[in-house]
Amino acid sequence: MSLELTLHTSPQVPVEAENISPDKFAGLTIAEIETLSVMHGNEQLTLADFFKVEGQTGAEIHLQGDLSRLKYIGSGMSSGHIHIHGNTGQHLGAAMSGGEILVDGDAGDWVAPDMSGGRIQIKGNAGHMVGSAYRGSPVGILGGEIIIHGDVRNEAGHGMRNGMIVVGGNSGDFTGVDMLAGSIIVLGKLGIRSGAGMKRGSIVTLQAAAMLPTFSYACTYQPTYLRIYMQYLKDSGLAIDEAHISGNYERWSGDAIELNRGEILLYKD
Amino acid sequence: MSENIKTVKNATCTFCGCVCDDMILTVDMDEKRIIKAKNACVLGRAWFSQHTIEDAPAAMIDGQPVSVDEAIEEAAQTLMNARFPITYGLSDTTCEAQRQAVAITDFIKGTIDTTTSVCHGPSGLAFQGIGESTMTLGEVKNRADLVIYWGGNPAESHPRHFTKFTVTAKGMFTPNGKKDRTVVLFDVRRTASTPVADIFVQLKPGKDFEVLWALRALVKGRTIDASIEEETGVSLETLKDLVERMKNCRYGVFFFGMGLTMTRGRHFNSGALLALTTDLNEFTHFVAKPARGHGNVTGADNVLSWQTGYPFGVNFSRGFPRFNPGEFTTVDTLSRGEADAALIIASDPASNFPKAAIDHLRSIPVITLDPKETLTTKLAHVAFRTATYGINTGGTVYRMDDVPISLRPAFESPFPSDEEILTSLKARVHELVLAGKNQQSALKTSTSLNA
Ligand code: SF4
Repeated sequence: MSLELTLHTSPQVPVEAENISPDKFAGLTIAEIETLSVMHGNEQLTLADFFKVEGQTGAEIHLQGDLSRLKYIGSGMSSGHIHIHGNTGQHLGAAMSGGEILVDGDAGDWVAPDMSGGRIQIKGNAGHMVGSAYRGSPVGILGGEIIIHGDVRNEAGHGMRNGMIVVGGNSGDFTGVDMLAGSIIVLGKLGIRSGAGMKRGSIVTLQAAAMLPTFSYACTYQPTYLRIYMQYLKDSGLAIDEAHISGNYERWSGDAIELNRGEILLYKD
Repeated sequence: MSENIKTVKNATCTFCGCVCDDMILTVDMDEKRIIKAKNACVLGRAWFSQHTIEDAPAAMIDGQPVSVDEAIEEAAQTLMNARFPITYGLSDTTCEAQRQAVAITDFIKGTIDTTTSVCHGPSGLAFQGIGESTMTLGEVKNRADLVIYWGGNPAESHPRHFTKFTVTAKGMFTPNGKKDRTVVLFDVRRTASTPVADIFVQLKPGKDFEVLWALRALVKGRTIDASIEEETGVSLETLKDLVERMKNCRYGVFFFGMGLTMTRGRHFNSGALLALTTDLNEFTHFVAKPARGHGNVTGADNVLSWQTGYPFGVNFSRGFPRFNPGEFTTVDTLSRGEADAALIIASDPASNFPKAAIDHLRSIPVITLDPKETLTTKLAHVAFRTATYGINTGGTVYRMDDVPISLRPAFESPFPSDEEILTSLKARVHELVLAGKNQQSALKTSTSLNA
């Protein structure tokens, strides 16, 4: 059984719906869930103004309809499941610490800012700032897993402290900028200026990439840990060949302006 | 020319971010025209001489002349009925008017943004991320012996910058003017400013970040591969020479323009330059400043910062200010079709925004305040014609180095100032907010009585 939320009225302006989260729904009846507030621009409305709510409470949450104007879905969740059958808006899973969000369509900018645990899987594309630090904060996500099957735009993993971001398609510019630790794996093309200002952490890509002048070639080897990662991603349904799992990777160290302890690994066949 | 001539001394030109306050204006009071602007540059002269009072209605609703009061009522109702109203522009008006605009946006729980978001917004982001080692232009004039321009063409955009402050100006520790200074220019092409430079560094388009990053590495004593020349168009020798000059100067300054902030990399480009400035302070005194364009865009940043805590892209829809460029900046809220009403002050987005944004602007009620007719005022639901700041109104503007300067108006305009219109609009909006609250509490009491 599941709890179904079906959009019946499309919002005219952005809606902030941080109350759509298993933690907020916990212990509430359907009628109580319907009265949870959402911000429609500057006016406070209720979930029932936009959604038909039916099904079993306490179960997996399924959202239907075009939710590209809905922000903050799954914000702060610590457990449970949300399945979005379509597109969703900005700040998906902001500050989540556990549980899982699955999106069949695309997601807007700022996927999972301040995330510390849990898992987000997006079948389509995502916008700028995936798993990135909020403006003014030097630290991005602290943990968790973000898997995007399509493309992402700029600044994925900005300032990330830990956790993993996987991009099935291409990434934008400044991927992993100022990252402190953690892993970013881009199966498609890595945008330019990746890893600028990184202190530690790994950025892995399966295609050739432009390097900043402050990154230097170290060696070519077969990183053991990467086999485990790649196998895991293959099992998660991403297009990974056997060669990617056991093949050679060029290791580039950087950013020399910082500690020079980060790495960019480029697949070499 | 009539007999009725007046001279205004120490008037201020608000055309560019230099905000020169040494204008001597000769005004024909009968014809209401400035006939001479002594000390002004070509741009300033054009700004003053082209200013005439047009015969036009002070307020219009859907193109029909109405009284100012009617227009204020309509504007207030429009803004109050909106769920995601935006306020935009503000760079060509006084700080006093900007303050009113912030208050209105706060009352209507809207989003306020200035033209900063389409010029030096990236610098604003970089200031927040990295910090700013700053100064006033007077300090530069008196002390700077290494002046570096990056991605700008001051000879054409800020014509008096070189002579008043940075190149030929004679100062306390720079008594011989240009002889005491080294001027470096980084740009992707030769411009009218190039001949002024002692060293011109031509880099390949879109390679600013790489060059700055290499400079930072060299300042920190790291090695850079000679292949940098092939990538950026600047040789390693040139970079090394520049780094030595930067480390060994007495007082160095960077001025950076939109060639840096609006090309690929944006806030990371400005951020890299600010970080380089910080790095150089290990060796000597080094400062950086964006060369701001519009007259009072610096004031807009200051007013928004002191009133909301953030310089641009600020949202009030939940009753408190939140800052998120990309989410709350005007090009984005319009292009995504989110805004449902717009208050546009002294700016013409309909002439320079991306098509998707302009299309959306056409589909929502727009309120404009502008001294002249523009593409935006033409599509406005409510259009106010206002007096020109600096020429017809007093007030305060900020120079590009955050120094506030008072305006001395030359002659009166038949139109009200931005500040007057916005103050009335604020008062009306406030009344409506209070009325709404009373209604709500009345509703609450009646329901609790029923219960
Ligand atoms: S430099 Fe700028 S402020 Fe000064 S007179 Fe010229 S246009 Fe006006």
